[in-house]
Amino acid sequence: MVEFKTISYEAVTVGEEFMSDDFLIKPEDVETFAFAVDDHDPWYFEDSPLEGTIAHPVLMGNQALFMRHGKYIVPAGLHAKMQYEFVEPIRVGMRVRTRGKLIDKYEKRGRHYMVTEFATRDEETGTVLVRGQFTQMLFPKSGVHEDARKR
Amino acid sequence: MPASASTFEVGSELPTLKKTITQRQIDCYSGVRPKSIHTDVEWAKAKGFPAPLAQALMSTAYVSQMMVTWLGTGFIKGGKISASFIKPVIVGDTLTARAVIKSKENDGGRPRVTVECWCENQHGVKTLVGSASGFADQLRM
Repeated sequence: MVEFKTISYEAVTVGEEFMSDDFLIKPEDVETFAFAVDDHDPWYFEDSPLEGTIAHPVLMGNQALFMRHGKYIVPAGLHAKMQYEFVEPIRVGMRVRTRGKLIDKYEKRGRHYMVTEFATRDEETGTVLVRGQFTQMLFPKSGVHEDARKR
Repeated sequence: MPASASTFEVGSELPTLKKTITQRQIDCYSGVRPKSIHTDVEWAKAKGFPAPLAQALMSTAYVSQMMVTWLGTGFIKGGKISASFIKPVIVGDTLTARAVIKSKENDGGRPRVTVECWCENQHGVKTLVGSASGFADQLRM
C-alpha cells in the first residue's frame, strides 16, 4: 500500500524514482487529445507513412508529469521547463508506462524546483517511445508565489 | 519568408498556428477534478489567478503540431522540443505559436534542422520560449 505524503522541497530526494501506472492507449484518448489541442492531423486518424495511424508525439506528456502523484499528495505546482525527445511513434493499442528519476532539486530566487528525467516505453516490447526531462516548481504551503501569477 | 520544401533557409519562419483555448479543451487535456488550478474556477481564484490556467504542457502540443506539419516523420522519429514556460496561459487566451529556422546540421548523416520557437498571447506576451528540431530529409510541405 502506498503511504502518500504531501510533496515539498524537503520531502523529495535526488535519486528518488517514480513510476506511472500502465495505460492502454485507446482510440478515444487520441480523439480527446486532438480536441484538447485542436490538432486533427489525418496521420492520427486515417493513415501515416509509418505503417498505419500514429498518435500525437506529446500524447503521454501528462503520464510523465503525474508520476509523482503516485507517491505524493500534490496540492499544486507550476511547470517550468519541458524537454522531449521523440524516439518511436506512439500508437493506439499500446500499453505504455513512464518511469523517471529525480535528478536535481534546487532553490532559485526563493522558489523551489525539482528536475525529473523520464522515459515512456511500450510495456509489451520495452521500446522507448519518448524520453526527456522536466522541471516543476513546488508551491509553498501558503499558496502561489506572488510573481508567478503575473501575466 | 515562410519556410517550405522549396524555401529552407536559416531565418525563414514556419507558418504560424493560432489557438484560442477554451475551458472544455483544458478539461479534456487535464482531466476535471476539484482543487485544480486548471479545472476548478474557485480554486484557481483562491490561488490568486483570475481564471483557470491552461496546462503549460498544452503549448508544447502546438509546437509539436508545427513541427509534424513541416517535418513529418523526421519529427515523429527523432524530433526534440526544449521549452521554458515563462508566463501563465489563462482560459480564453489566444496563443500564436511561431518558429524561425535557426540552424541546419549533420546528425549521423541526416540533416537536422533546429528552430527557435515561442508562443505569445493576444497581448503579444511570450508564454513559452524554446527550441525544437527534427530531421529534414522528408519534408511534408
